[in-house]
Amino acid sequence: MFKLRDLSINFLGIKLENPFILSASPSTDELEIVINGLEAGWAGAILKTTSVEENPVPLKYPMMSSFGNYYRRVLGLGNIDLISKYHIDEVEKRVKILKERFPEKLIAASIMGSKKEDWQNLVYRLKKANVDLIECSFSCPQGSMGEAPGRMLAQSIEATEKVTRWVKEAAEDTPVLIKITPQVTDIVEVARAVKKGGADGITASNTIPSLLGIDIYNFEPYPSVFGVSSYSGLSGNAIKPITLRTIAEIKRNVDIIISGNGGAYSSRDAIEIMLVGASNVQFCTLPMVYGFRVIEELKSGLSHYLEEMNFKSPSDIVGKTLEKIKSNDELPIIEVKAKIDKEKCIGCDLCFISCNNGGHMAIEIKENRIPEVNIEKCVGCALCMQVCPVDAISMNEKMNEKEVVFVKR
Amino acid sequence: MTDFKGNNILEKMMHEAERCLFCFDAPCEKACPINLPISTFIYMIRNKNFYGAYEKIRESHPMINIAGFVCPEEILCETECTRSKIDSPIKIRELHNFLTLNFSKNQNLSLPEFKYEDIAIIGGGPASLSCAFFLRELGYKTHIFVDKEIGGIPLEEISNYRLPEEVIKRDLDFLKNNFIYKLNLKKVKSIKDLGEGFKAIFIGIGLGDEIKLDIPGIKKDGVFYARGLLRDLKNGKDISFGNRIGVIGGGNVAFEIANSLKIRFKEKEIFIIYRRGMKDLRCYPEELERAKNLGVNFYFQTSPIEVFGDLKIEGLKVQQVSLKEVEGEKRRRFELIDKSEFIIPLDNIIIAIGQKIEDGAFPEIEKENGLIKVDENFMTNINGVFAGGDCVNGGQTVTRAAGEGKIAAHKIHEYLRRV
Repeated sequence: MFKLRDLSINFLGIKLENPFILSASPSTDELEIVINGLEAGWAGAILKTTSVEENPVPLKYPMMSSFGNYYRRVLGLGNIDLISKYHIDEVEKRVKILKERFPEKLIAASIMGSKKEDWQNLVYRLKKANVDLIECSFSCPQGSMGEAPGRMLAQSIEATEKVTRWVKEAAEDTPVLIKITPQVTDIVEVARAVKKGGADGITASNTIPSLLGIDIYNFEPYPSVFGVSSYSGLSGNAIKPITLRTIAEIKRNVDIIISGNGGAYSSRDAIEIMLVGASNVQFCTLPMVYGFRVIEELKSGLSHYLEEMNFKSPSDIVGKTLEKIKSNDELPIIEVKAKIDKEKCIGCDLCFISCNNGGHMAIEIKENRIPEVNIEKCVGCALCMQVCPVDAISMNEKMNEKEVVFVKR
Repeated sequence: MTDFKGNNILEKMMHEAERCLFCFDAPCEKACPINLPISTFIYMIRNKNFYGAYEKIRESHPMINIAGFVCPEEILCETECTRSKIDSPIKIRELHNFLTLNFSKNQNLSLPEFKYEDIAIIGGGPASLSCAFFLRELGYKTHIFVDKEIGGIPLEEISNYRLPEEVIKRDLDFLKNNFIYKLNLKKVKSIKDLGEGFKAIFIGIGLGDEIKLDIPGIKKDGVFYARGLLRDLKNGKDISFGNRIGVIGGGNVAFEIANSLKIRFKEKEIFIIYRRGMKDLRCYPEELERAKNLGVNFYFQTSPIEVFGDLKIEGLKVQQVSLKEVEGEKRRRFELIDKSEFIIPLDNIIIAIGQKIEDGAFPEIEKENGLIKVDENFMTNINGVFAGGDCVNGGQTVTRAAGEGKIAAHKIHEYLRRV
């Protein structure tokens, strides 16, 4: 009934009806599921990573585990999944079917190979099936193939550049994205290698190698596969801060298109990922946990944001934050003081105990449990602001007679 | 992981624990008469350290099982809960019960050697048992003097519908086995009765007598006093009632008897007759709600004049009352209204207008308004003689009495170690 803003973007020459696409994941591993997702309103899908027919995919179950709290049970999701059990023969069929059925949507495929001919063979067959875009998984944490099995391709600068070149050589004018891992010493080096190799863009990034937890009564790690387990790839809202940093760091140093991926749970999260430089946002854990219907919130939230901020297109917000990201030594030294809104304060005194046990002993309690900031002692660290359950604390910042207020919105 | 009805409540309780803010110097703990470490035990529940949480409350309150059932949280801890400024208070008593019902397996205590003096404790209710509990923990030998058995009002008078017997037994067994050095079944009415050998004495005798109503006809058969009746009913004594029963009074005892009779005899009509208005009632809000739900009837602003009838009771003659707010007075002042008399037809009348210390008890101890007078250290006019609980506060909650017993125990320790 209500008219949304035009959310369409141009991504590497492909028109997307909105910036939200399904990433290579269990959500894109079955034809019927992908169809449901695209019908729900997602702008496109990257089919789960496939390989050549000879490559065995020994999947292990149970493959998932998670952590969270009672308000958000799956804050972080870990999996010991591998690439798709479906090989290229099946995936090329699906690309054709999907492309025919959804000519307006982005139909992409993700690939992983070992030898040069495997990579290139995969590309040729997908091109023949009329795929819109090819993503190369250089970063599945649960094992990789090729020269150093068990090690992620994107952890080697040389291999990254070399394989990128092979793929792009075969892909010609079909756009290629390289999906990298944040688990490297210098993400910028990797991004440069991708660019040098000739890829059109980077998918930043992927799940993060992790160990989800341990049953302390029988010492079994999660997810317990008959008593044992291996490291998981961590996804979900928990990794969003790492994704933001990864994308920002690449975008500040390398001129390359980025598809954001990792940790977005809402339209606001997606907007943040675009603000640090992603042109679009991929989703995996969110629809896995709450279903494809979450696209409604994503579209409506982005539309209202553009409206409110007076932007014409989602592309206008890409990278808006980058100029505001500095190194620590570039930051100004200013005067900061905490300020407590006494109307909002409910008197739990959590700020008091934090400041006194982990801050600068700058909060005192006056009558009726109302805390008060001792301006002399307050250095403005903002710990109190983090623990306040009702957002009653703001930070007043001053520099050269100018004042700004830092609040969490 | 169930509630006392057997429903699985683990998820619900975890969710509730998640809501707690863990306020610094938590207001709920301050509102608790025994300062139960509420935020600490909820923090432990949140982190699934259920046994640790249980131990935390077990060592802080001598009657946690009983308190879990009878504590009026809606006028104590939960009224002060900071969370209610965001949405609604944390269900503290439910969390508390969740622990006592499910995680009480650890009975392995570490108590100090007996290293201090013998202390006499007169009475066996919550205040006395609490005093013994905390004194034993400090290393004193606790000698309880009680007429029959320990347990006090929770055991003798609180109805089963509010407090199941096995719940009382859990606390009493725990206290008997660990915290009472010697239990003396002996009626003590004066300090002299104790003999020599005690360095300090605690009196927690409660309120043994009921305040009598002095109106014509009150001696007729079929008129009862509430607490005696509660005791008789709890002991299983067979008492026959007519169809219409009037309860005179507006406190917890009046509601306890009215509600328990209504639960027992659904078909009988029960009336609470109170000379003030509904908002002047001195019962817990929960009990008033329960009475309303059960279908107990009310006569407010109604003062009894005479028990009416020849051989058996036919009714209660009452007179209407007007209430006026008077500046400087806490309660509304009441005046009888002329020519407003009428008769409430009744078959039985139960009087629940208040209680007092047993006549003639402890003549050497100074009293005030019918209660034992103590200073801020809960010490009476006699050095080394302390008192607490209903006989001092006029009849409050189990936890209030236990809280006073706790303070008295620490004051006794201070008194003896300083001397």
